[in-house]
Amino acid sequence: MTLQTCAQPVLFEHFEPGSLMGEHSETYTPNQARRWQAIFGNTAAAGADGPAEQASMAVVMMMRAYLKVVAPRPPGNIHARQKLELHGMPRPGETVRTAVHCVAKSMRRERRYLELRVEGNGDNGRPIFAGDLTLIWAA
Amino acid sequence: MMTQPYHSSPMPTCNLSVTAAAIRAYAELTDDFNPLHLDEEFAARTPMGRVIAHGTLSLCLMWQWVHQNFDADVFTGLQLDVRFVKPVFVGDLLSAGGQPRAGQPHCWDVWVRAQDGSDRVAGELRMNQPHGQESGDLR
Repeated sequence: MTLQTCAQPVLFEHFEPGSLMGEHSETYTPNQARRWQAIFGNTAAAGADGPAEQASMAVVMMMRAYLKVVAPRPPGNIHARQKLELHGMPRPGETVRTAVHCVAKSMRRERRYLELRVEGNGDNGRPIFAGDLTLIWAA
Repeated sequence: MMTQPYHSSPMPTCNLSVTAAAIRAYAELTDDFNPLHLDEEFAARTPMGRVIAHGTLSLCLMWQWVHQNFDADVFTGLQLDVRFVKPVFVGDLLSAGGQPRAGQPHCWDVWVRAQDGSDRVAGELRMNQPHGQESGDLR
């Protein structure tokens, strides 16, 4: 199934372990930098225009890709655990393409657990990040 | 830049006061407008009882802690593995911090705690050896 075009919420039964669910591209824009700085500060000491902001953009790109690819979602999902490995830092102006895979799903204590893998690559395919989201799916 | 062994001094924390404006800004940053984060009436009808912050907001604060305590080059190769232990609410004062794990020179126990001392995010952070040094060096 093409999850991005599914009008109904993506249910637990729709996830297929081992499958590529979709890809999404995001650019590290000045607007995004300003949004980060509005929360965390706009000084060098805060990490603005520097590593803290750049590493945060990897998190932002990961979440934007997940939210765009796995949509619409049933209300009430829980983000329980996050693994994230930084291979490189997104650069201002760089576009990062993120692939979202379903790795596994299981029932534990009557809860629906999902494992999604996200892998982001920047300009010329350079690796930026790889992450694993553990989600407790609502339906 | 002056550096010193990572285990020789206490680690300063990195703090963030969680406001509705900060949550709104983070929603715009991640394009995550889940009403659980933004709509008080909606959130009041959920088990949370009130609006909660996005879990990954705390990850960005953790990156800021890394930035404020280590050289920039430690970011590349970082491996983070955390659990979202408890929700973060408007009005919480978060502190990101960490300490080296005994017997594991490249591994840190990290957390984001609220003003009551409870962990909201907790897990481990692994660092590559920067420039052949023993481990991540403090600023």
